[in-house]
Amino acid sequence: MKITMVKKIFADGSPCKKCGEIEDKMRAAGQLERIDRTVVADESNDQSEGMVLATEHGVDRAPFFIVERDGAPTVIYTVYFKFVKEVLNAETSEDDEIAEIMNDVDLDFL
Amino acid sequence: MNSITNIVDIDSELAAQSPQEILSYALENFDNIAISFSGAEDVVLIDMAYKIRKDIQVFSLDTGRLHAQTYRFIEAVRNHYDIKIDLVMPEAVKVEKLVKEKGLFSFYQDDHKECCGVRKIAPLRKQLLTVDAWITGQRRDQSPGTRAAVPAIQDDKAFARPDDSLTKFNPLANWTSKQVWDYIRANDVPYNELHDEGFVSIGCEPCTRPTGPGQHEREGRWWWEEATMKECGLHAVNISK
Repeated sequence: MKITMVKKIFADGSPCKKCGEIEDKMRAAGQLERIDRTVVADESNDQSEGMVLATEHGVDRAPFFIVERDGAPTVIYTVYFKFVKEVLNAETSEDDEIAEIMNDVDLDFL
Repeated sequence: MNSITNIVDIDSELAAQSPQEILSYALENFDNIAISFSGAEDVVLIDMAYKIRKDIQVFSLDTGRLHAQTYRFIEAVRNHYDIKIDLVMPEAVKVEKLVKEKGLFSFYQDDHKECCGVRKIAPLRKQLLTVDAWITGQRRDQSPGTRAAVPAIQDDKAFARPDDSLTKFNPLANWTSKQVWDYIRANDVPYNELHDEGFVSIGCEPCTRPTGPGQHEREGRWWWEEATMKECGLHAVNISK
């Protein structure tokens, strides 16, 4: 299995806050060691490797994870807690999962 | 059907179709599918769907903080179409804990996320575990900053069951507010009386206010919080070639 993490930097060069938070969380949990490659999606450069991967996989948010297994289709995870649960087989709390969803979902239609 | 390729292909076909055609596709392809009804102008989805299939599943999130007018409206819709509307409520224990620790209006001090997490996201998540697909009233014109790319169909990874998929339909994605209201008037669809009082976007009572001419509807929601772009998005303008 090969895992690639794609994180974002903004067009002005500043880092994506959510990407940083998730990276910190993974570091603290010892999960970063499970990532084979980390690449950057640079919003100022649509040819940066991360932006090219985002286009290739139809992803519109960051960070995201590309999971490649021999003989199986590539799977893309845009939701961190799902990636952690389904790929790393780690536990996540319901509060953390809801907090992650809250950051990604606009709620005014509910 | 939920491989990226399939969803993208289907979306490219549905994108040019009418809300009714998108709804027809959704209802024909999924038996276990539900409409999420907010108690606002997304009532048009119920009207359209009811004309396609009478046994539509509809649910509303009853946060416990809705306007009395919204409760009356939900009941009016239930009676008008003679349908069941499941009111999905938050877990009492979690609401009690939040209120005990932070009071009834903590969202004015921090932000709305914690309260919405308890009152909306957790119950929504539980509800969506029971269906294969859901239908929302999201439109691109509701938030040009964060909703400009809402597709007609999407693979909902956030709310999907573990190791499963959930399909989300947004039949009104390409419609404007004016088109929605033209439909409501032309078809005598019941609507929330709050709209006559200047409310455009309607949510919980403490977090919703009327908007005036020239104001975007998003200014009527969580107005005390800084309006910032959601930073998790990879902005397509930079991806396009």
